[in-house]
Amino acid sequence: MKFVDEFRDATLIRQAAAEIRRLADSGRQYRLMEVCGGHTHAIYRFALKDLLPDNIELVHGPGCPVCVLPMGRVDDGLSIAGDPNVILTVFGDMMRVPGRNGTPLEHKARGADIRMVYSPLDALKLAQQNPGREVVFFAIGFETTAPSTALTLRRARALGVRNFSVFCNHVTIIPAIRAILDSPDMRVEAFIGPGHVSTVIGCRPYEFICRDYGKPLVTSGFEPLDILQSVVMILRQLQAGTSYVENQYARVVPWDGNLPALRAMAEVFELRPYFEWRGLGFISQSALKLRDSYAEWDAESRFQVPGVRVTDPKAAQCGEVLKGVLKPHQCKLFGRECTPERPVGALMVSSEGACAAYYNYALRTTAAAAV
Amino acid sequence: MCTLDQDGCTTCGDVAVPARVLQVEGNSAHVIDRAGNAAEVATDFVPGVRAGDVVMVHMGVAIGRADETL
Repeated sequence: MKFVDEFRDATLIRQAAAEIRRLADSGRQYRLMEVCGGHTHAIYRFALKDLLPDNIELVHGPGCPVCVLPMGRVDDGLSIAGDPNVILTVFGDMMRVPGRNGTPLEHKARGADIRMVYSPLDALKLAQQNPGREVVFFAIGFETTAPSTALTLRRARALGVRNFSVFCNHVTIIPAIRAILDSPDMRVEAFIGPGHVSTVIGCRPYEFICRDYGKPLVTSGFEPLDILQSVVMILRQLQAGTSYVENQYARVVPWDGNLPALRAMAEVFELRPYFEWRGLGFISQSALKLRDSYAEWDAESRFQVPGVRVTDPKAAQCGEVLKGVLKPHQCKLFGRECTPERPVGALMVSSEGACAAYYNYALRTTAAAAV
Repeated sequence: MCTLDQDGCTTCGDVAVPARVLQVEGNSAHVIDRAGNAAEVATDFVPGVRAGDVVMVHMGVAIGRADETL
């Protein structure tokens, strides 16, 4: 399979790094945002920062749905699990995300029936196997994940499975990027675009970033050479003074996205008027809910959901890190009160969160001096 | 690169795993990743997929095809 070895080839990586050094103007500071948590993780895991000149700074974006989910929504989901007839199903990522009174894992230890699933389709199977129980799927994720939930709901309807419902927390990437672009302290010059979100939505939805804000965007794969090639493509655009969408990950990302997946999402979901993001606040039309035609499978219609609001700790500076104003280690809580074992802020929650990635991979080097 | 048995934080990592299709049955397919892990995935979003194709698997669903010639 042509996916890994070529994109980890040391010679090619050295060539790309040399090209980056050749293209980067030493008198200029570059700030490039990788939108996606997977890119953040790869950048630290492969120590790509060490291959870049000092004047190229990679800023970590909001692309971690678990991190940006407000604590109140976790509590809402856990309150559904308080019903003894409910089996709450969650992705593994969610099991250690804290609500006010503990994580789903801790609630499970106290007796709630919370089970980990790999796919929403597994949650549907569980409902079929347990006709006397209510099975609720805690849906979370960007456009990479939302089609899987849409497909599951279509199948639930087709199969007539009535004891299955979805607690929907799907968010959409474009409004979050727009919120960052509209932020007064925004200092990003270009974007490394998400790879697999783009497999679904394609490249066209990013065109406004280049047209209206004058920022280049390159959708990128996740191997070291993918990311370095994307930086090369961005530098070439910045050098030429152009801003358009380019597709480095063409082996996977079709320009128009995946139409059957987009159709399924449009059939099942509609935009919420607004949704809260940890660290970014309320963003209009940035999340999905089930359409009325699927209300029967909507856990928010079927169960009493308290609508918990939890204010983020004031000392945590997640918003500034998300917008690229601060590096993770510059937050007052980083590595002291806020660690991957005991996360306080949003970005320490998931292993793909900017602060968790920074803590796990970069603490020993760059951040060590500052902590 | 992730594999079907070890794909990190799949939602946040924007993760999809390339896997080769071994056999298609209705709207699902048996696939195998580069590490040899096998899985059954839904193929509703990759109509016309055939044995030998490489699909990108996310949460038990093929969300797209991969073109090995690019």
